Amino acid sequence: MTPSTDHVGDDLHLLVDGRLSDRDRERVDAHVSSCATCKAELADLRDLKARLRQHSALSPVPAAVRARVAQTIDQVDAEARRAPTSPRRAPGRRVAIALAAAAVVIFIVMRPSPPDFVAGADGDLVAYMAGTLALTLETSEPAALEAHLASAAFDFPTRVFDFGMMGYALVGGQAGELEGRSSALFAYEGQNGEDLVCQMFEATSDELPSGFEVRENLGVVFRIYRRDGRTLVFWQEGDVLCVLASTGDPEEAIQLAFAKAVPGGTPEAIG
Amino acid sequence: MHPVDDLRARFEAVALPLMEPLHRVALRLTGDPEEAADAVQETYLRAYRTFENFRAGTNARSWLFTILYSVVINRGKKLKRESQHVRLDMLDEPDTLLGAAATAPADPVAQPPTSIQEPEIEAALRSLPEPFRAVVVLVDVEELSYEEAALVVGAPVGTVRSRLFRGRRLLLESLRGYAVRTGHLKEVEP
Repeated sequence: MTPSTDHVGDDLHLLVDGRLSDRDRERVDAHVSSCATCKAELADLRDLKARLRQHSALSPVPAAVRARVAQTIDQVDAEARRAPTSPRRAPGRRVAIALAAAAVVIFIVMRPSPPDFVAGADGDLVAYMAGTLALTLETSEPAALEAHLASAAFDFPTRVFDFGMMGYALVGGQAGELEGRSSALFAYEGQNGEDLVCQMFEATSDELPSGFEVRENLGVVFRIYRRDGRTLVFWQEGDVLCVLASTGDPEEAIQLAFAKAVPGGTPEAIG
Repeated sequence: MHPVDDLRARFEAVALPLMEPLHRVALRLTGDPEEAADAVQETYLRAYRTFENFRAGTNARSWLFTILYSVVINRGKKLKRESQHVRLDMLDEPDTLLGAAATAPADPVAQPPTSIQEPEIEAALRSLPEPFRAVVVLVDVEELSYEEAALVVGAPVGTVRSRLFRGRRLLLESLRGYAVRTGHLKEVEP
């Protein structure tokens, strides 16, 4: 390595952040010790980082801001106490009623076609296969994705399925929509390149189209659709409809759904 | 205990102690005390309304920063205050912004008011375009990991890393420009 012409570049940033392996750190240290340019840049970066860190000290929150936050929380609590059946959603209740009324009017006038969750979920899987599905967070950590989705303020509890034991690695997720419903989406990749997309959204299995195969496991009813070699497995958990869409082996997809469904979470009886 | 009281107690224990870093980041992201106060208030409102979904053991700081970042971006008001307009598609281009940031004049009016020990650092941070400023503030001021910062801004870790590195380079150029202007550093002849 010629110090004057082959600088270590971004590795200097990784070095000050403590993100280099021992081996890389030794390599960068060796270069820096013989390169005045990189030595100066490293000193500048260390100084900058130290100054920025000090910058965070001593910044008390103004009393007025604290008071506004306390007042906001008090207001939410007061409204929640007045609406005991739905405490946390109470503040938006009047708006929700107005929107619902407006929706009824629009529905009567527009007569929209019913949502097709099978086509929608299959479309998302195809988009994921094509690399055109925009994930709002790319991560392999289920906890990181859960925290990300928690900030999206879904009206239902979300949980990221962990398929690590079954050979599927989490790729990322999305707080998006499925056929107009808020949807928490999780994307995975299998060991053999299989694509897997799961979604949770508020709907009932009665809204699903016909043409499905029914399976039952531990009291949970699964509706299975097949589309050009892709498999979509739906099941109900309370107010939430879950779907697992896979390009892999159909039977494996069904078993994955069996593994992640919550027994007792479905009001649907097998018919 | 009423369920509301129980939720409130848990929220106060988990979320309220983080108001100081939250407010600090809000100030850095918005550059305006009133806008920062609004953003903090809205963040706590959204956090409280969704606190039932918050799982014990989750990183509360990252969770709150994520909401704050979303609030600030969605409010959109900060865009009007940007001293520079940066198209998102410029983010992956070479360092064409270095010159702009280094020469951007410090705005003496819209100063975040809290405990600025080094005004040049504050001015340099303020001169950074938002995508770079956010990650520099999160990683270098608030000491989040790359992964935590990626979670907050909803971008891949690699993107956060490149924005951080470029943001630091912009900051260094800006600080060198400041040092030259104040006579602390001689301008190097080309």
